[in-house]
Amino acid sequence: MEAEIRNKPSFANLRLQLARGDRLIAEADAMASMSAAIEIKTRWNGGFAKAVLKRVFGGESLFVNEFSTDSEGELVLTQPFPGDIECIELKGNTLFLQPGAFLACEPGVKLGLGWAGWRSFIAREGLFRLKVSGSGHVWFGAYGGIFTREIGEEYIVDSGHLVAYEPSIRIRIGMAGGVFTSFFSGEGLVTRVGGPGRIYMQSRSFGGLAAWANSHLY
Amino acid sequence: MTGEATFPGGVFSERIDDGRAGAEIELSVAGVRARTPDGAEFLLPYAECRLEIGGASGRMIFCRNRDRSLTIFCEERTFADALSRASGGLLSESLGELLAARRRESRRGWWIAASLALGIAALLVAGFWGVRVAARAAVHAMPVALDEKIGELALKSMDLGGPEVHDPLVVGALQAIVDRLAPHAAVSGLEFRLRVVDAPIVNAFALPGGPIVVYTGLIGKAAGAEEVAGVIGHEMAHVTARHGLERIADSVGIVTAVQILVGDTQGLVAFGAELFTLASVNSYSRRQEMAADEEAVRMLHAAGIDPAGLARFFEVLDREQGDLPSAVSWISTHPQNQARIAQIRGRLAALGEPSYQPLAVDWAEVRRRAAGGGQVE
Repeated sequence: MEAEIRNKPSFANLRLQLARGDRLIAEADAMASMSAAIEIKTRWNGGFAKAVLKRVFGGESLFVNEFSTDSEGELVLTQPFPGDIECIELKGNTLFLQPGAFLACEPGVKLGLGWAGWRSFIAREGLFRLKVSGSGHVWFGAYGGIFTREIGEEYIVDSGHLVAYEPSIRIRIGMAGGVFTSFFSGEGLVTRVGGPGRIYMQSRSFGGLAAWANSHLY
Repeated sequence: MTGEATFPGGVFSERIDDGRAGAEIELSVAGVRARTPDGAEFLLPYAECRLEIGGASGRMIFCRNRDRSLTIFCEERTFADALSRASGGLLSESLGELLAARRRESRRGWWIAASLALGIAALLVAGFWGVRVAARAAVHAMPVALDEKIGELALKSMDLGGPEVHDPLVVGALQAIVDRLAPHAAVSGLEFRLRVVDAPIVNAFALPGGPIVVYTGLIGKAAGAEEVAGVIGHEMAHVTARHGLERIADSVGIVTAVQILVGDTQGLVAFGAELFTLASVNSYSRRQEMAADEEAVRMLHAAGIDPAGLARFFEVLDREQGDLPSAVSWISTHPQNQARIAQIRGRLAALGEPSYQPLAVDWAEVRRRAAGGGQVE
């Protein structure tokens, strides 16, 4: 399977060339276009109960689509919001994705739901997170550009900007500064991450967009 | 020689592509051994092992070498014990410290969370009650025109339980009492309009703003005009002390309470009219009843009417209550009669022995006409 992420970073989309026998799992509604030779099968996102949990808590769809072909063909996947798409290859390791970030993966990748905890909930990052493990490629999207950082010592990320992180990353919720700074700097609560491990961040946040749009409504 | 068990985990090393991979971890005699799916192997001797704890779950154990170029990590719950045993106690102390620190931090987290939750709950409760208490105080700052509006609306939609009596002798006698008391009311400008309703219930009530309703059943139970004057004084006191509005403020939901505070009275009027139409109009709190008694005694005394009539009427009803509790609604909704009689008597004693003018009413005739349904002969 050949994969190419095009139109980076603002309106990224994923173009895949599927050969005979290739399979790909993708988020429902992610398909933008495909060759007629490609078959699409819809199934529960990990069984009915897990699918409901992922829908409610993980921000993912109830269903996932499985694409395959008997000959060969092209498949273009996209995400609903403007922004970049990133590809990682899992080699027996695990990655946590924030709700809604998952786009597609190869069949060797396991999709699970992990408890993110109350701290994550308070930081408005959700009570649960999607856990991708196993081996194979995973594509996930973000709002805006995606940038990554290897974390050693503590590092601070504003809430809403964290897209994905490895399980070895420690997450703490804290105030941006003192009480005054936290309330009036516009930063409020921030996420303090500690290593070792890698985090993926997005250059825009949905909360920021919502607040900006809201201020122009009246 | 291999160790006792393997654990799922991972490894960070610059020797592998992308610097990371999942790995199977084995606690061998030589040290912590990690094997990636690609077949790469890493060994970290126990003696070189620097331990850290953390990760997203907070319980991931990291074994790192001195320059941190190699990190082997595992999240399994049994890993710490196994590592302690496999290292022959070499890492036990360090592990113990890490786990203790984690427990301390976890406990601290719970304390902070519990304190935060308690604090938020306390703020919510305080805010809720604060708004209610403030709304209760705020109604006293509102114009009495509001009381009148509520009373008027409630009266219009109320079922009084009988025909209104128009006999000038009956209505005139009671209105004369109202007119004598009115100049001594604590709030001026209120119009106390009295209605007599023909029904065999021993009751009288006042609505916010001044409408007073007295039933012929109550007139029949009163031995003298002073007793009814006591009851009327008591009801007028509820009006002037604005107990109706207080009761509304006590019963409204938090939204209306906030509306009251910001001066929006529409909800208050609608809710008040409904409350007084549907609910028993006499169900004031004990504090309000005692206050109304006290104020009634003051008004009666100032108007030159013997306030002892109120206490006497209580005593009469108290005696009769045992026989016909349901018919005596005025007193059955007025609790703690003995305490109230004692309070009224106490107030009277404090007033000394003033001379009161008896009310110039032919009470026997009023009672007779009222008993006959108050129809003009």
